[in-house]
Amino acid sequence: MALMEIRFHGRGGQGAVTAVRILASAAHLEGRYTQAIPMYGTERRGAPVVAFCRIGDTRIKERDLVHEPDAVVVLDPLLGKTVNVTEGLKEGGLVLINHPGTYEETGLAGSFKVATIDATKIALETLGRPITNTAILGAFAKVSGIPRLESLQEAIRNELPGAIAESNIAATRRAFEEVSQPIDASGLTKVESKRRVAPKPLISYSKEVSDWRVFRPAINKEACTGCMRCWIYCPETAIDVTSEKAEIDYDYCKGCGICFEECKVGAIKFEKEEAGTS
Amino acid sequence: MKSEVMVGNKAVAYAVKLARANLIAAYPVTPQTTIVEYLSEFVANGELPAEFVNVEGEITAQLVCMAGSIAGARAFTATSGPGLVYMHDTLHGTARYRCPVVMAVVNRSLRTMQPDHTDLMAQRDTGWIHLYCENNQEVLDTGIMAYRIAEDERIRLPVAFALDGYVLSYTAEPVEIPDQDVVDKFLPPYKSFYPVLPENFDAELEKYKKHWSEGRGINDSFTPFAADESFSHLTMANWGKGHDIQWRWKWHQETMMNAKQVIKEVDMEYGKLFGRSYGGLLEEYRCEDAVAAVVAMGTIASTARAAIDKLRNDGKPVGLIKLKSFRPFPIEEFQRIGRSVKAIGVIDRSISLGEGGVVFGSIRSAVYDLPERPLVLGYYAGLSGKEVRVRDIEQIAERTLKAASGEKVDSLAKWI
Repeated sequence: MALMEIRFHGRGGQGAVTAVRILASAAHLEGRYTQAIPMYGTERRGAPVVAFCRIGDTRIKERDLVHEPDAVVVLDPLLGKTVNVTEGLKEGGLVLINHPGTYEETGLAGSFKVATIDATKIALETLGRPITNTAILGAFAKVSGIPRLESLQEAIRNELPGAIAESNIAATRRAFEEVSQPIDASGLTKVESKRRVAPKPLISYSKEVSDWRVFRPAINKEACTGCMRCWIYCPETAIDVTSEKAEIDYDYCKGCGICFEECKVGAIKFEKEEAGTS
Repeated sequence: MKSEVMVGNKAVAYAVKLARANLIAAYPVTPQTTIVEYLSEFVANGELPAEFVNVEGEITAQLVCMAGSIAGARAFTATSGPGLVYMHDTLHGTARYRCPVVMAVVNRSLRTMQPDHTDLMAQRDTGWIHLYCENNQEVLDTGIMAYRIAEDERIRLPVAFALDGYVLSYTAEPVEIPDQDVVDKFLPPYKSFYPVLPENFDAELEKYKKHWSEGRGINDSFTPFAADESFSHLTMANWGKGHDIQWRWKWHQETMMNAKQVIKEVDMEYGKLFGRSYGGLLEEYRCEDAVAAVVAMGTIASTARAAIDKLRNDGKPVGLIKLKSFRPFPIEEFQRIGRSVKAIGVIDRSISLGEGGVVFGSIRSAVYDLPERPLVLGYYAGLSGKEVRVRDIEQIAERTLKAASGEKVDSLAKWI
């Protein structure tokens, strides 16, 4: 095979870096040379991240990043709305996106193929957490043929400990079966990616992060005692208690769930976002 | 022999384990940190029987390695960027006391957290051997070779081997792990010249007792190794006896020059045993009938191979010189290459501010004595971790090739 280059788009915490590692190991188990490249910056749970994987038949010489990928894998349904995930994608390339909706609803269009898989649903049902990396790899194995499902499962066993490996393998298998057939995306309607600008800046460096959420906290004002515990722990300073009761500024809430964990009076609910609602 | 997909930092840890280093002292610093983590795991779970010394900083890390090495330990440390600069003074000590310490340097820029070679280049004159690696396999192989080179009795000098931060340290790729028994054959146990308990300890002790019993005092010269000229660098016993006080520098320079031969021999023997060698001091890649050559170190050399492949496929007579050993510098090799090419384009991932590219200057100096000198052009690339793409090197190679055919270039040194 010619050199295959894949770009992964994810969010901090979804396991994009682990995904490229597992993919590289799995392809290597089939005798191929590989590279798994994480892009490190200032890591922050929920922030958009990219990682790359190269697969070839000889030792890979290129040490730069992947700029013209053969395939793009998107681990989060809402990423496409703020990041141009198809940038540089080769003609006739493949986009595999974690999305619960139809091809049209992905907002992706162009001279490439697109396949969808509801990896968040699979991850929640098999792992109990919205870590979508292993599920999406199962889907990738199906739509690209690389690597074989068995190699992928062996690589997962090498990478992750016992019981965790088994639940991830279950996620991989389900996604392998449930992924949609790739279709030509040239007939779809493109939704331009754009970064939403928050109406009122909270603090100078903060950015609008509402589309990072998979789960959404909600405060029950009746139960809230105004103890300020959530206010202390919120890493995004998205909670306001000036009115004696906690109030969440959803533009700045990334859905990390720390407030839900810390609330001692059970005044915070933490429920799955409906895709596209934020 | 098995093969595993691993990051560069893990390849370093495996090299240290296979080399059976038994003294490790290192202080964590990004992007070197995981080397320390992997090694402490190896030591904690009993895979690597070594003394792991927790230190409070890089100066201590280097001093622990230096002292341990004199006493007979095979010592290892690793650092990056600011940690390496903080260690600077003690590096001189390790080299002048001829301690064969091996150090992994995960290159980190002194201006950002991203990779360039400014950190190790700042240690240019410390008297260490400096080797640069382009992929994780070379990192593992070089780590093992480094001990063999350092401990060679003809030189006994410390070795620093470098891998670009992030680009290698955190990038995973397949690495073949050599079998322990073959490594053991290649790398026999280390024997210090000056162990804590030398074989002639009892005899020396008797001499020492006699020295005191004869009524001689602490100011009378006495050393258990009095006959050993080179030991005086530890005791300073020969000071004031008409010695040229420059002798340490002279000895060090001669030893560094001799190290070239040792590096080549070790590389060849490694190749015979493990099937992989790296050309000794430098590797010429597709240089046959080349009119121009590009020089690169570290991961840029790897990316450059892809660029040279493309240009060669288009019929352009340009090759790559992968410079592995920066200190000692392969002067003779560059003179030989300088006779066959018309232009050399040197990529520097560092800069000596106020003059220019360090490798650029060294190569110009090396070819100066040739009756017909090639053109030497400088390029700055990848500083502060700026990405170096295949097309950047194609551009460098094509410009150098144009200059080789007599076309005028706008400047001698160019920023990419």
